Amino acid sequence: MSADRTPAPLLGQPLPRKEDFRFLTGAGRYLDDIEIARALQASFVRSPHAHARIRSIDLSRAQRAPGVTAVVSAAEVNQWTTPLRMAPPIDGLQPVEMTTLPADKVRFHGDPVACVVAADRYLAEDAAELVEVAYEPLPAVADMASALAPGAPLVDDTLPSNLVSHQRFVAGDPARRFVGADRVIEAVFSQHRQTHLPIETRGCAAVWDEGRQHLTFYAGNQVPHPLRSALAARMRLGESQITVISPDIGGGFGQKIALYREELTVAALARALKRPVRWREDRLENILAASHAREDFVKVRAAVTKAGGLLALEMELVEDFGAYCFYPANYLARVVAMILTGPYKLQDYAFEVKIALTNKCGNGPMRAPMAIASWVMEGTMDAIARELGLDPVDLRKRNMLRASELPYVTATGQRLEDITPYETLERGLAAVDYPEFRRRQTAARTEGRHIGLGICSVVESTTYGSAFYKAAGILGSGHEAAWVKVEPSGAVNASLGLMASGQGYETAFAQLVADVLGVGAGDVSIHLGNTDIAPYGMGSRGARGGTAGGGALRLAADDVAAKILHIAAKLLNLNAPDQLRLSGGGVERLTGGAWSTTGLTLTAIARTAYLDPLALPPGMEPGLEAHRAYDPPPMTFSNATHLCEIELDPATGAVRILRYVIVEDCGTVLNAAIVEGQQHGATALGIGGALYEHIVYDATGQLLSGTLADYLVPTACEIPNFEIIALNTPNRQTVTGSKGMAEGGVMGGIGAVCNAVNDALAPFGVTATRQPFSPDYLRSLLRDRR
Amino acid sequence: MSKSLLRLRVNGETHEVLAEPRKLLSDVLREDLHLTGTHVGCEHGVCGACTVLVDGRPARSCLIFAVQMARHEVTTIEVVAQSGRLAHLQQALHETHGLQCGFCTPGIIMTFEAYLADNPAPSEAQIREVLSGNLCRCTGYQNIVRAVLAAAARRRAEGPA
Amino acid sequence: MRWGEHAYLLAMKPAPFTYHAPASLDEALGLLAAHGEEARPLAGGQSLVPMMNMRIARPEHLVDLNGVAELSFLREEADAVVVGALVRHAEIERSALLRRVAALLPCVAETIGHYAIRTRGTIGGSLALADPAAQWPLLAMLLDAQLTSARPGGTRTLAARDFFIDIFTTALEPGELLVSASFPRLAPDEGWGYRRFARRHGDFAIVAAAATLALDGAGRIERLRLALGGVGGTPVVLDALASAQQGRLPGPDIWEEVAGSAARAIDPSGDIHASAALRRELAAVLTRSALGDALARTGAHR
Repeated sequence: MSADRTPAPLLGQPLPRKEDFRFLTGAGRYLDDIEIARALQASFVRSPHAHARIRSIDLSRAQRAPGVTAVVSAAEVNQWTTPLRMAPPIDGLQPVEMTTLPADKVRFHGDPVACVVAADRYLAEDAAELVEVAYEPLPAVADMASALAPGAPLVDDTLPSNLVSHQRFVAGDPARRFVGADRVIEAVFSQHRQTHLPIETRGCAAVWDEGRQHLTFYAGNQVPHPLRSALAARMRLGESQITVISPDIGGGFGQKIALYREELTVAALARALKRPVRWREDRLENILAASHAREDFVKVRAAVTKAGGLLALEMELVEDFGAYCFYPANYLARVVAMILTGPYKLQDYAFEVKIALTNKCGNGPMRAPMAIASWVMEGTMDAIARELGLDPVDLRKRNMLRASELPYVTATGQRLEDITPYETLERGLAAVDYPEFRRRQTAARTEGRHIGLGICSVVESTTYGSAFYKAAGILGSGHEAAWVKVEPSGAVNASLGLMASGQGYETAFAQLVADVLGVGAGDVSIHLGNTDIAPYGMGSRGARGGTAGGGALRLAADDVAAKILHIAAKLLNLNAPDQLRLSGGGVERLTGGAWSTTGLTLTAIARTAYLDPLALPPGMEPGLEAHRAYDPPPMTFSNATHLCEIELDPATGAVRILRYVIVEDCGTVLNAAIVEGQQHGATALGIGGALYEHIVYDATGQLLSGTLADYLVPTACEIPNFEIIALNTPNRQTVTGSKGMAEGGVMGGIGAVCNAVNDALAPFGVTATRQPFSPDYLRSLLRDRR
Repeated sequence: MSKSLLRLRVNGETHEVLAEPRKLLSDVLREDLHLTGTHVGCEHGVCGACTVLVDGRPARSCLIFAVQMARHEVTTIEVVAQSGRLAHLQQALHETHGLQCGFCTPGIIMTFEAYLADNPAPSEAQIREVLSGNLCRCTGYQNIVRAVLAAAARRRAEGPA
Repeated sequence: MRWGEHAYLLAMKPAPFTYHAPASLDEALGLLAAHGEEARPLAGGQSLVPMMNMRIARPEHLVDLNGVAELSFLREEADAVVVGALVRHAEIERSALLRRVAALLPCVAETIGHYAIRTRGTIGGSLALADPAAQWPLLAMLLDAQLTSARPGGTRTLAARDFFIDIFTTALEPGELLVSASFPRLAPDEGWGYRRFARRHGDFAIVAAAATLALDGAGRIERLRLALGGVGGTPVVLDALASAQQGRLPGPDIWEEVAGSAARAIDPSGDIHASAALRRELAAVLTRSALGDALARTGAHR
């Protein structure tokens, strides 16, 4: 069945979303909206100390409190479950193990040590106050430098130090290039600790059916099947004994992937108590103890010619990973190191990556975990330009890959093709009228106003097929699976292993399938999140939904379409389906160079397939469904150029965004409005990180930014309008031509804003290197300058 | 503390709920009245997801004890659409792709249903100022702002619903 | 930060309490007296309820003042406007009366938090909370408002300077309720300015500056008042600095000088949002701007 014969009227169309109605009318079904009879509520007791031995836990007063059914700690929970061992065979990565609840010591402010289960959350919190834990505080390490200093207190007593992961890499001969360089330019980039902060916090509900010995686990989770596998393993249950159902999710951004200890505790409690147990994380817990992100420090050395040719790059990265490893510790930093060189030609490259454990909440992937990469590379280019007295645009163009130079294999072995960084850069510069900006900037300076333009070229790695994990030494697959069924009535159902948290899958994937089957998007229903219904997939993360999920879905839809056309040929007494296609809800035939309807509808074919199988082609099975899996390339890439104009008030350090332009090539898109929405949201997240959001710990490991009054999520007054120019070109390797997107905006937002601020600071002779670029920080640079 | 009978009027109907005085309005709406369209995001008055109308004006339901509502009218998202027909703002959000995960959406709709009633022709800057009381993590706000502008225009042309 | 140091308590549902809904001030006072330290009054709830949800505040008796109608009034007097303690920020914002006779108040009310906060939060609650960066304490200090409070024995009136003692600390005694705030009206042609610096729109101010300016017939400074919020335990009124400007011809150079002196006259502390050094600099910047605004508003009918 050939794609180019069937029209695809819905491809790329900005259809308003099918899922909107329930959200707009307050009829969404998020976790807490699900009613479960007889459910008890859990509340966790958490450590007030960043690092302390647990001397004793007395649950007795809490157990006697009104409305309490049970109070448990490690003593019970660690019996009911197995520990998480994180020990992939990766060179330089220390194996670590985490029990479900800590028994011996707590490792961060907020570490859960006990769980109260009561009739409601109010009573559970009353009882939680009565749990008595005797702690013996220990010295804490609250920053990466102290953590890695000799003799530092150990976060994990089984390791020789807090250096949980250490990798080095060399490609080419950077040392020789540095010796021969005209100039060596150094730059540092410090990105602070952030947290995902979905508006819906974490939560779950566990229902244990004692009769069936079966657990139904509700959780807003981006990866329902891997979650099921993890639950089964940790609870010593068979995978068939668990159903994971993810209802509507109020935002994930990577925080709702791992099987957290709270969730596992709740599941184990439901089984032990033979009562449904549910948990709603409150916002203080979410900021304190869910999952943190970023906090990486990068030092770069660039060897250049005096004309601005990049010769070699050396990069050292240290990441503060927190106290517990829900992911392999090298997992997030690894991608930064691999894609750092972005769109530039460079074969002599070396990196050293160190990951430190500290007494803080553990890290997890937050939308664009590799986000620092674009800021580092583009900030380095700006630093080179400033030192050599070159225009930053000329410098970029000099070193950037052109279309004629693709495919290009980077120093780390990534194959870059079907990307257009040069083209998006040119288009972006034209959109902002770059020469005119420089004129305005000069004029503004004479009036005492300081504007800056930040340019950030983003090459966003996406999708992560199985070959990526294999090369990384991480157990796991990057494939995705889908099924498509046409029911006897002609209604179409489809399902994938992904789970939506706002990406509009119910619409975009309906469009994809509808085009293949020649029906309307309203005729296709997409089913997600129930592991009994959806096929085993790797879930939604790493911008893989469109490419991996869409790819599998397309293959399955194609199979169904092929079967439909074979049936149609038989019903029309034709030898072969070559001259047939699906359109308008039925079958069309090519006669005399024109397509015309045959009068044969999809409904009629479906009815035949299910209810009159003897009329099918000989040997053909009844029914109309297909199930396919698709393993995409190890990485696919989108690219974009972000250009941001800001005004800096040097008297206060305040930054105001004046204009923001994004030129993006994200391949074949399923729904242009949804893609734009992703660009807006991702870029807003980057801006929030660069300027406002900040997880702050004091030197003893106490979290200081514990509420939304301190952790500053940007509001509608801080985020500008984005002017988006789409320059989409297809990826010729993927099934649908898609490239994956939705994280690049974060990379670009961070890089463009930071570079813009430094452009504005240039006349003052200072460079901002430490996010967030708060008024306090920027004023301190200006105040202290010589 | 013991539960007592609370009387409150929600969406034009009187309800009697057995609850402790400390039970928040957000929790009573969701758990006792099964009106789960009002969402809880922070319980300290910052995110705006729990915004409902009290006597026609937006208020954070996480900062009100249900017992306080004895002589007040509470309005929630569930009655904004009338007989299945979306209000202008809801329709506009749908058309501009002004929602993604949808969790913050009811709070935003309640805020602007009240605001547009008193301020029929807001500027974009004014809309952003009002919207700044509702946090959204998905959309970057741009499409929400477009939706409010469109809804305001439609309301001026055709009347509120 | 305001709540953060208690966050480790990690509650998000309030502790139990007995609820009281008095219908009169006397009844409210009686309840507060009867339950002493175990009782707290509830006004708008925009500050108290978050603290209760986090269990930082755990009154055993909550006295809901929202039904005490006599605390909700706006009255114009010859020299002042009197605002009842239970008047909502939004009511002040919308008040045609205040826009006419004391426009400074509604204009400043607009800057408080967000729409939903202003519909519930009250001026009495804000004054009693005594956040040094908040709008009403700053205006009360600037204008030397008279704050009337009630106890079972009777009422008393304190000048703002005697009312605000330290951060989150007022002269109100246990069981004493703020009843009203009387703000002196500005003189005809007296201009005013209010400028604030916050990280995001609607946030608590890091620093705020408020000023009034009256000129004499020759256009020289007849009376200047200047106060800063967020730079000390209470709003800081710069009396000496302000009165030293009398007789001078106002303008950017003078404002620059005053701003610099203001920054030197204060001793702010730092926190995770702003260092002491930044607060000083903000004090100067905002003072300059507020004075400029005040000058622009002189002569205009406010």
